[in-house]
Amino acid sequence: MTKIWKETGFVENDAWALPVEGEALPEGARPILALGEFLEQMEASNEGGFGVLIAPADDVTKLAPYLERLALVALAFPAFNDGRAFSHASLLRSRLGYEGEVRAVGDVLIDQIPLMIRCGIDSFAVKNPTALKRLAENRLPGIDLHTQPAFKSAETGQRYSWRRKAS
Amino acid sequence: MYRYDEFDHAFVSARVAQFRDQVERRLSGEIAEDAFRPLRLMNGVYLQLHAYMLRVAIPYGTLNAKQMRMLAHIARKYDRGYGHFTTRQNIQYNWPKLSDTPDILTDLASVEMHAIQTSGNCIRNVTADHFAGAAADEAADPRPYAEILRQWSSVHPEFSFLPRKFKIAVTGSEHDRAAIQVHDIGLQLKKNDKGELGFAVWVGGGQGRTPLLAKKIRDFLPEEDLLSYTTAIVRVYNLHGRRDNKYKARIKILVHETGVEELTRQIEAEFVHLKDGELKLPDQDIAAITNYFAPPALPERPEGWANLAAWKKADEGFARWVQQNVHPHKNPDYASVTISLKPIGGIPGDATDSQMDLVADLAEEYAFDEIRISHEQNIIFPHVAIADLEPLYRALQPAGLGTANAGLITDIIACPGLDYCALANARSIPVAQELSTRFGSAERQAEIGELKIKISGCINACGHHHVGHIGLLGVEKKGAELYQITLGGSADENSSIGEIIGRGFEPEKVTDAVETVVNTYLAIRTHASERFIDTYRRVGPQPFKDALYGPSSKAA
Repeated sequence: MTKIWKETGFVENDAWALPVEGEALPEGARPILALGEFLEQMEASNEGGFGVLIAPADDVTKLAPYLERLALVALAFPAFNDGRAFSHASLLRSRLGYEGEVRAVGDVLIDQIPLMIRCGIDSFAVKNPTALKRLAENRLPGIDLHTQPAFKSAETGQRYSWRRKAS
Repeated sequence: MYRYDEFDHAFVSARVAQFRDQVERRLSGEIAEDAFRPLRLMNGVYLQLHAYMLRVAIPYGTLNAKQMRMLAHIARKYDRGYGHFTTRQNIQYNWPKLSDTPDILTDLASVEMHAIQTSGNCIRNVTADHFAGAAADEAADPRPYAEILRQWSSVHPEFSFLPRKFKIAVTGSEHDRAAIQVHDIGLQLKKNDKGELGFAVWVGGGQGRTPLLAKKIRDFLPEEDLLSYTTAIVRVYNLHGRRDNKYKARIKILVHETGVEELTRQIEAEFVHLKDGELKLPDQDIAAITNYFAPPALPERPEGWANLAAWKKADEGFARWVQQNVHPHKNPDYASVTISLKPIGGIPGDATDSQMDLVADLAEEYAFDEIRISHEQNIIFPHVAIADLEPLYRALQPAGLGTANAGLITDIIACPGLDYCALANARSIPVAQELSTRFGSAERQAEIGELKIKISGCINACGHHHVGHIGLLGVEKKGAELYQITLGGSADENSSIGEIIGRGFEPEKVTDAVETVVNTYLAIRTHASERFIDTYRRVGPQPFKDALYGPSSKAA
């Protein structure tokens, strides 16, 4: 059973859903569109509030003209060791300046979540039992001292320019 | 050398605590082996044929006596009384218990050491010239930059799950002792016309199944851009490197398939965005790190030269050792010394706990507490007074550490092979031992001159066989071990990939085959100073093929 977690805790009544081929969306759900479909919608209308899924091989910078019309960007981790979405998150936040929700979906494990947070992912679709348990206990296995800057703001002034401390 | 401050201590302690938690979850069964695997690998813990293996980082191969004693202590307490120094200037232990690894890491942290990123698909231990800071020919010491890269790459949030491992090497000299052209990124520290420091940047070198030499993509990158440019390279690789086939996942394949011009364009386009951002290195930070690597104050010791001549005259063995294992230093009263871990008939790179303790004592007595590990799996004392060479040699000799063979045919690089490694197809260690014994006579080695033999027990090429003057690759054919010979490889500033010379040899025939190659070289070299590699480059493979397979042979 997948639950949505944010740094403030688990989220109830999340409306976003990844469409499954051949199945209807659950009642009242908002679809997370594949990038191609999303770009078509952008041409077809001027509406906003969209959700889009960035697959590992997608070019996340294609979202640049449409940031205002996005409510959610889901980044796919088809396997925990496919690290492309870490770069997608970094580009989306630091390069494009997207300020809306960024969600990790797929194989989201507890040991990766602290790294995801640093890259700017702020919402997590979690089904792994250990991850769910640790998140419920608020026990994230991260390190508060960092030896490089990342999107998530952290204190400078740690002697060398590249160091940061979680604030 | 670099010293931890409070931040580093707290960082490494937190990393140990994080790993302890991961090991506890694994031991309780809460975490599955396939999910644990990348976590343990990122902390240097492998699961090998017989046991877990722990690889401990020795950043750019630099350590002091206290740290060397800790490595000895770990060998004694948690392992079987020895450790194996590797081609990434690290040390690995072959028999630790998984449940002991957090305690080992705690012990290491007490002397400012760790096992962070010695394995896994992340940025690995950054290597450097083992004579850095001492070599007469360097533009500047490369280690401050290796240290900055080490810090920046540690637990990197974006680059911890790359397509494959990622290796960076830095050299400060035109003469490359760090093999930068067979690294994912190779950096050559140099000065421009204005006397400013920067780097020539090479990308996409590597060995393994598809050996490729790196391509130069920047002739001069200002030092302040080191981290932003490296980030641009690694980001392009993380996004576009192949993930469908682990044998095609290194950046060398991306460079090869994309083309160096297009890939350089992508890297430069990424760099434009990063160049003046948070990663730009301030001068004062570079200066602060560089200060840690200031060479020790070396008192004048001019008496050494007179003594040296007399000592050499009195002892032929010492004279040979000086000839082979002593390298010129910036300071004329001093030298850099190679302590060979290749005793005749021994296991390349292995050292016992008592040898490590002795090296630590001698480093304090004669070498200003500075020790290096070379990628050729030897120990280096970078700063030794010429006047102290003889007593140092006297102390090394009885411990089996005085072999006079640096750069000679018995100074063999070998991977652990099928004796330990879960990936190997064939043994490496017994082959190295037999070759070492066959060519062990000092006179014969001297006659042969510089000749680098490198042995890998499988195509992953941990023993660097592709860049051996003579390379041996162990393969498995119909359940039996077979050794393929490559000739003409080199890992210096004139790097080249060796060519396969013909069909492979059975374990009991491979030493004879190497001897045939060596005898062929001796017969056709123009004079004694024409090295094996020079002869090979002059005449090509044919005379060697003829000697190995008969004159009509077209074996390939």
